[in-house]
Amino acid sequence: MSDASDVTTHDPAAWRDGVRTGIPTLFGIGAWGLVVGVAMIKSGLTLPQALGMTLMVFAGSAQLASLPLIAAGAPIWVIFTTALVVNLRFVIFSALLAPHFGMLPWYQRLHLGFVSGDISVALFLQRYPDPAPAPGKLSYLKGLLYPNWASWQVGSIAGIFLGNAVPAEWGLGFAGTLAILCVMVPMVVSRPALCGVLVAGGISVLAAGLPYKLGLLAAVVIGMVTAMAVDELGDKFAPARKEERR
Amino acid sequence: MSDMEIWIVIVALAVSTAITRSGFWLVGHKVTIPRRVQEMLRYAPSCALAAIIGPDLLLDPSTQALTLLNGKVLAGIAAVGWYLWRRNMLETIVFGMLFFTAVRLLHLF
Repeated sequence: MSDASDVTTHDPAAWRDGVRTGIPTLFGIGAWGLVVGVAMIKSGLTLPQALGMTLMVFAGSAQLASLPLIAAGAPIWVIFTTALVVNLRFVIFSALLAPHFGMLPWYQRLHLGFVSGDISVALFLQRYPDPAPAPGKLSYLKGLLYPNWASWQVGSIAGIFLGNAVPAEWGLGFAGTLAILCVMVPMVVSRPALCGVLVAGGISVLAAGLPYKLGLLAAVVIGMVTAMAVDELGDKFAPARKEERR
Repeated sequence: MSDMEIWIVIVALAVSTAITRSGFWLVGHKVTIPRRVQEMLRYAPSCALAAIIGPDLLLDPSTQALTLLNGKVLAGIAAVGWYLWRRNMLETIVFGMLFFTAVRLLHLF
């Protein structure tokens, strides 16, 4: 078990290395937290509710997604399902990261998973693409995750307190929409993903009048099916085109 | 929504974070995701985000009528352009808000 102890032993150099690697992203994370904090208070949550949400939920896009649903009085299961769908990308991230730390006790794995943000995971996997044990791995990961979590919370709490001071007609809630656009754009690099997004956005507008915000869920399902269909067609045509060229 | 219901929503959201972020850390070594499901997962988040912002961008808040050209759509398109150029979220949000505010103050749409 010397491998496992290598991974878990605290390594100050690796910790500092992780912190240094993450520093350039912290400002962006804090700003994104600020936007979500303002959006929470502007959507009508009370101060304790907004603080409770940022400290307990720690999922920016899912929080932003839930705010209009809360304001519209959507059923709790719809809000829960929407948050699950928005968070689905973390299933992929955790599937990539979890094999590195299988030897840790369950409560540490639960805790590390809960505080892992998308950028931190990407930075960690750049350094350690291989799940094989390596010394200082856990310290490096913590050096990425903890400052990331802290800058999110600082930004978010600042936004919660600043939000009340900003007049409603500035339309600061729109900053949340812009932030979602920034998260979404890098996800639509392929043709299937772009088709899915356009169809999902279109359906969500056309079906906006449906009760219980069912238009939103319908848009996600139809958009996803469209993306997969385009993907399948691409798979079918790609080899055919190679045939023609011969 | 009542105060109590909002707190239930907050707890439900915390559970959804735990399921999606920590689920694989806890049981991952026992599960392999089939290829088809992985493909589906890949497209779900972007579709969900599009479905969330679609109505905000394209529906008039007072009449719920479809408007293909309005201040938010223009600011959204300008912001996407800025993001593709600079790849910086903070700059994009500031630029998009300034653009949106300019359109609003000039009563262009």
